[in-house]
Amino acid sequence: MSTDDALDLTAPAGFEPGMDEGEDLRATLNKRQAGEEAEIAPGAPQRSVEGWIVIVTNVHEEAQDDDIYDKFTEFGKIKNLHLNLDRRTGYVKGYALVEYEQQEEAARAVSEGTGQEVLGQEVTVNWAFVRGNKGGRGRGGRFR
Amino acid sequence: MANNDEFYLRYYVGHKGKFGHEFLEFEFSQDGKLRYANNSEYKNDTMIRKECFVSPAVLGELKRIVEDSEIMKEDDNLWPAADRVGKQELEIVCGDDHISFTTSKIGSMNDVNDSKDPEGLRTFYYLVQDLKCFVISLIGLHFKIKPIS
Repeated sequence: MSTDDALDLTAPAGFEPGMDEGEDLRATLNKRQAGEEAEIAPGAPQRSVEGWIVIVTNVHEEAQDDDIYDKFTEFGKIKNLHLNLDRRTGYVKGYALVEYEQQEEAARAVSEGTGQEVLGQEVTVNWAFVRGNKGGRGRGGRFR
Repeated sequence: MANNDEFYLRYYVGHKGKFGHEFLEFEFSQDGKLRYANNSEYKNDTMIRKECFVSPAVLGELKRIVEDSEIMKEDDNLWPAADRVGKQELEIVCGDDHISFTTSKIGSMNDVNDSKDPEGLRTFYYLVQDLKCFVISLIGLHFKIKPIS
């Protein structure tokens, strides 16, 4: 139910946030894009390769791509929208991932999208990716 | 939910065969770090390793999906053991609960229904699909790659 094909724009020949080597470049780019706001603090929004991703939660299980699209396009042009389904029921799982090109657009979606109703149900909007706490390591698992 | 809000999740699926060790693995840590690895040597495909940090909202949604599934009540005692076809591992720490399940690959619902614990395995089967779907969207959007699964 993804509108990937319809909405996915061709990527500008940009950089790729790899593991670590992209950090400086990314920071510079973020700073440039966000103006004075860009503090390199853990928890601050993190840019993705082609834009800024927000997560919409508490999405009504019968929502359709268009319901999310119509609501969120007012904050900026939506580059990508993933409204994933519950594999058991076939209904919407409850979250949507929305990508905007500009940080300001995504920021508006976060601040103004929260509390908006989709099919009569209030949604919550947050950044999906954040700056990590460098060196901070969570509980270690058996990751290969 | 208990006061203890500890959270950790790791999933692995893979096998060792003609094309080496082919696997998909992802892990979410308490601090939001998402690690993702996908290795296939088929046609000289290379290992993909990605790391990023997801927000508390993403972790919260993940936790909700885990809790709604009621996987923490299951037990892998009667599940098919990992075999030559492959292996799946799911480890979750959620509050005071900790599960660490290992089983074979599940090809279809038939495998689930024919097992000794169809209900538990069904919960696992659908949860894993929902988790994979979530992670593949996150990784795909963030890094602009199309992961295989």
